[in-house]
This record gives sequence, structure tokens and C-alpha cells, in this order.
Amino acid sequence: MKESNLAEPVDTEEEIEKPPFFKSWAGMYWLVLGNLAFLVLLFYAITKFYE
Amino acid sequence: MSPLDWIVLLGTLGFIVIYGVWKTRGSKDIEGYLKGDNSMKWWTIGLSIMATQASAITFLSTPGQAYEDGMRFVQFYFGLPIAMVIISITVIPIFYKLNVYTAYEFLENRFDLKTRSLAAFLFLVQRGLAAGITIYAPAIILSTMLGWSLTVTNLIIGVLVIFYTMSGGTKAVSVTQKQQMAVMMGGMIIAGIMVVSYLPENVGFGDAVAVAGKMGKMNVVDFSFDWDDRYNFWSGMTGGLFLALSYFGTDQSQVARYLGGKSVGESRLGLLFNGLLKIPMQFLILFIGVMVFVFYQFNQPPVFFNEAAKSKVYATEYADELRGLETRYTAIFEEKQEAVQGLVTALKADDETAISSAQGKVAALNSAGKEVREEVKGLITKAAPDAETRDTDYVFISFVMKYLPAGLVGLLLAVIFSAAMSSTASELNALASTTVVDIYKRNVKQEGSPKHYLNASKMFTVAWGLIAILFATYASLLDNLIQAVNIIGSIFYGTILGIFLVAFYFKRIKGHAVFLAALMAEAVVLYCFYFTEIAFLWFNVIGCACVILFGFILQGVIGEKKEEPEA
Repeated sequence: MKESNLAEPVDTEEEIEKPPFFKSWAGMYWLVLGNLAFLVLLFYAITKFYE
Repeated sequence: MSPLDWIVLLGTLGFIVIYGVWKTRGSKDIEGYLKGDNSMKWWTIGLSIMATQASAITFLSTPGQAYEDGMRFVQFYFGLPIAMVIISITVIPIFYKLNVYTAYEFLENRFDLKTRSLAAFLFLVQRGLAAGITIYAPAIILSTMLGWSLTVTNLIIGVLVIFYTMSGGTKAVSVTQKQQMAVMMGGMIIAGIMVVSYLPENVGFGDAVAVAGKMGKMNVVDFSFDWDDRYNFWSGMTGGLFLALSYFGTDQSQVARYLGGKSVGESRLGLLFNGLLKIPMQFLILFIGVMVFVFYQFNQPPVFFNEAAKSKVYATEYADELRGLETRYTAIFEEKQEAVQGLVTALKADDETAISSAQGKVAALNSAGKEVREEVKGLITKAAPDAETRDTDYVFISFVMKYLPAGLVGLLLAVIFSAAMSSTASELNALASTTVVDIYKRNVKQEGSPKHYLNASKMFTVAWGLIAILFATYASLLDNLIQAVNIIGSIFYGTILGIFLVAFYFKRIKGHAVFLAALMAEAVVLYCFYFTEIAFLWFNVIGCACVILFGFILQGVIGEKKEEPEA
């Protein structure tokens, strides 16, 4: 089979339905990453507090 | 176990098998059997993804890990939310556009048949071995409970799972997992509440956490960097990220979960749901393990949690020696109990000097207790060389069996069995689909009927199930179970991820170069595993980086002219 050279996403974001609560998918991604940052800080505080 | 426990356990298991068989009654061809009907909503996908990852090993091994090592294992999951975002942006739209059955089909589209087959082969090896451990984990419970040999128990559970998996298709697995996930988390929360309620009257929840902290168990985050340290912030954020990218982006047992989604958006939400909840879930399970540890500061733990192994020693001439060690362990515990009560009093009074003094005393007595436990392990090795000398995986189940009331024991056992059966079903289903779609249908028999491929899928499910049982028989030789699964994954995942990253992001690198680069990268990872002390999470990074680096070099050496299209 011949190689396709496919190396980039084949759908544009405009073609994919919008997420709930946010205007774009970027908002959802920041929510997940923000939650991670919050948890790491919380866990660090727990570690220090009970050390 | 009381009759009520048996009714709850057998009733749940019977229901799952019957439900699985009932759900597959419409599967007449390979499409229905392997892919479902693309009808799943995001919450089903999210819960199914979490349930697939959280097998019986999670519920048996993770609390034991926290009992021994504290909370720091949670850092292993720090890279997971980032991986969920990357996969949502990059991988899902491509898989949907190409309408693939398996992740490896994409590789033939991008590279060539041999690269697709290699990635599928690496997946089959690592997932086939991991499936063995998924069967082995619940087998421990039965062997402890009933005194059966692990081999016999492995066989019984394995055969039951093969029957269920062969009958059940992808859709039945996902739908069942949604309900099981709620039961699993409900069961664990009840267990957590029970363990806290069993603490002495003068020890509140806050005191229990403070005691755990003073004994080094609340070590959730560690920012110090050490290559040889398995769990710290850096290994979690890098190795954990690469492992999660590989697992969720290239492992068919997970890819199949979100390929069954109704749309790209539903699949994305399912993955992001996992990104939000996975770390809190693992934190909770580890925390229950820490609470079990605190409970055993006030209630005497067994000197060795695997009673079956201890019984073997009692049947030999070493029985008196073991009895002596148990007496010593009891004496140390009694002394420690006093010191722990002193620590609680000092913590309540906020008296730093007293806290420090009590902490030192408890630490010294813990060390003494550990020494006795090591002597017991040595004795077990001498008296019964075939018996397990690691008891971490028995800590939580031993607590459940001994202290939880009738009915709840059966429920928790049913949860663990359900999780094991569901995860194994998912794994065997993915192994069969990859073998049929990527190897058999593409390389062996290209012109078969749908019925033929359906029968082949069922046959390969049985074959992989038997291999998993065989591996399960030798799983006791490995480290802690959950670590064993992750070590096996890390040996192969980095290379597979490297192939996929090249496919997605490095357009210049072609089929021959990436194929050879993957073989060389796997050789490097195997060298690191056998001959170095590098912590296993880094294998993901090393394997992946090697594929990309060697790919660039080889592409330069081979040149584009040499890239011949395959038939």
C-alpha cells in the first residue's frame, strides 16, 4: 500500500460540534489542565501540612 | 464468608455472565461483535474508559501500595489529564475520519503494512501478558479465602472469563462497565467510611490523617528529581504522560472504548471526563489504603497478610520459629500501640517536643516490626519456596474479610470480581480484534466471509484467554501487581507511541525508516530493562524518543528514493 503522507488532523474544529458550557473546545481543555494544576497544588499543600 | 456473602457474590457474577451473553445475542458479524454501533454517549465512554483501566488490580493492589509506601503513587497519574487533551485534539479526529476498527489500521494508511503489523504485534505481546495479571489478581482472593492453589484458581476464573468474553461483544462490555463503575466506587467509599468508623473513639478523622502524616504516609507530592525514583512529580509528568498517551492513544482496549462513540465531540468529552476524575479517584483509593494503615496502628495486623502462605510454614518443622516471630511481633505491637496513643495525645495538645519524641518512638518500633516481617518472609522462603513472600496485595482484602460485616464482604468481593471480569473481557476482546483485523485478515486470509471473521474472533478470544491463564500462573514471580502491569506496559508502550507520534507529527519520516527505528528503539528499552536501574516510567520516554531520533537518522541514510511502495 502506498504511503499517504497523512500527518495532520483531517477535520477542522469548525466541523466538530461545540462542547457543553464553553464556546470552544479550548475552554474544555483549559478546565482539565486547570483542574490538574489545582490538584497538584492541593496535594503539595497536604504533603507540607502533614510532613 | 457467611451465606449472605455467597448469595451476593454468586448472584452478581451470575447476573454479569447472563447479561453479557444476552447482550451479544444480536452479533451476527464482525462489525457488530467488535465495534458496536457507534451509539455511545460521553458519560458511557468516560465511565467505560475508567472501568477498563480500573480493574481488580486497582482495588486490590493500590490500597496495599499506600499501606506500604504512602500516597506518592498518585503522582503516576499526573500526566494523564494532559494526555487526554492531546489525544482529544490530535488522535480522535483522525481515527473518526478514517473510520478505523483498530488504531493500527491508521499506520498502514500513513506508512505501510509492516509498520502496522509491528505495532499490532507489540500491542499483542504486552496486552496478552497484562491480561494474565488481570486474571491473576482476583485469583489471589479465592486462594486466600478458600485455601485453593493459585494455579487452580487462575484456571477457574480464566475459563469463566473466556466464556463471558467469547459470548460478549464490545457494546455489552461498555454498557456493563457503566453500571459496574458506580458499584465499584460506591463499594470503595463504603469501605473507606467503615475503616474510619473502626478507629478508636478518641481518634477522629483529622487525628488519623495527622498520625498517617507523622508516619510518612501523606507524601502525596515530591518535587525532588531522581532517575531511580519510581514516583515523583517529574516522572509522573513526563513518564506518566507518555504512558497515558500510549495507553489511551494506541492501546486497542482503550481506543475501542471511544471509537464506539456517537461523534468526535462525545468521544472527546468521554476522555476529558476521565482527565478530570482519574486523579481524584486514585487519590481516594490510596487514601483508603492509608486509613487501613492507621487502623492497624490501633488493631494488631497479622505478621504476614497472606494467611495461606503462613499456613504452609505451620505445616513444616519451621512452625515453632514462626510462632516465636509472631509472639515477638505482638510484643512490638503492644509497645507501639502505647506510643501511637502518646502521639495522638501529643498531636491533640499540639506539643512539638512530645510529638517529635512519640514520632521517633513509633518509627523505631515500626522498624522493629518490619524486621520481624522480613524474618517471616525469609522463613516462608525456606519452608515453602513456592509460596509468595510479598503480601502487599493481600492487605486490603485481608481487612475486608476480617472486619467488614456480612453482606458487605460479598458485595466488595463481587465488585472486585466484576471489575476483573470486565477488564479482562475488554482486553481479550481487543486482543482478538487486533489479531483478526490487523494480522489475520490483512496478512493471512483476506477474502473471508463476515461469519468466518466472527468465528475467527471468537477462536482468538479463547486462544488469548488460554495464554493469559498461562501467564497468570507465573504472575506471582513478579513485583507488586499494579507495578507489574505498568512495567510490562512501559517496556512496549514507548515504542508504539513513538511510531504514532512520527505518524502524526513527522511527515518527513517514511515507512522503512520508522519500522527499523521501532525495532532499534525496542532493543534499547529491553537493554535498559535488563541491564540498568532506570525507573520503569522512563522507558516510555526512552522508547518514544528513540523511535523519533532513529527515524530521523535512518530516513536521512535510506533517503526517499529507497522507499518502495508495498503491494
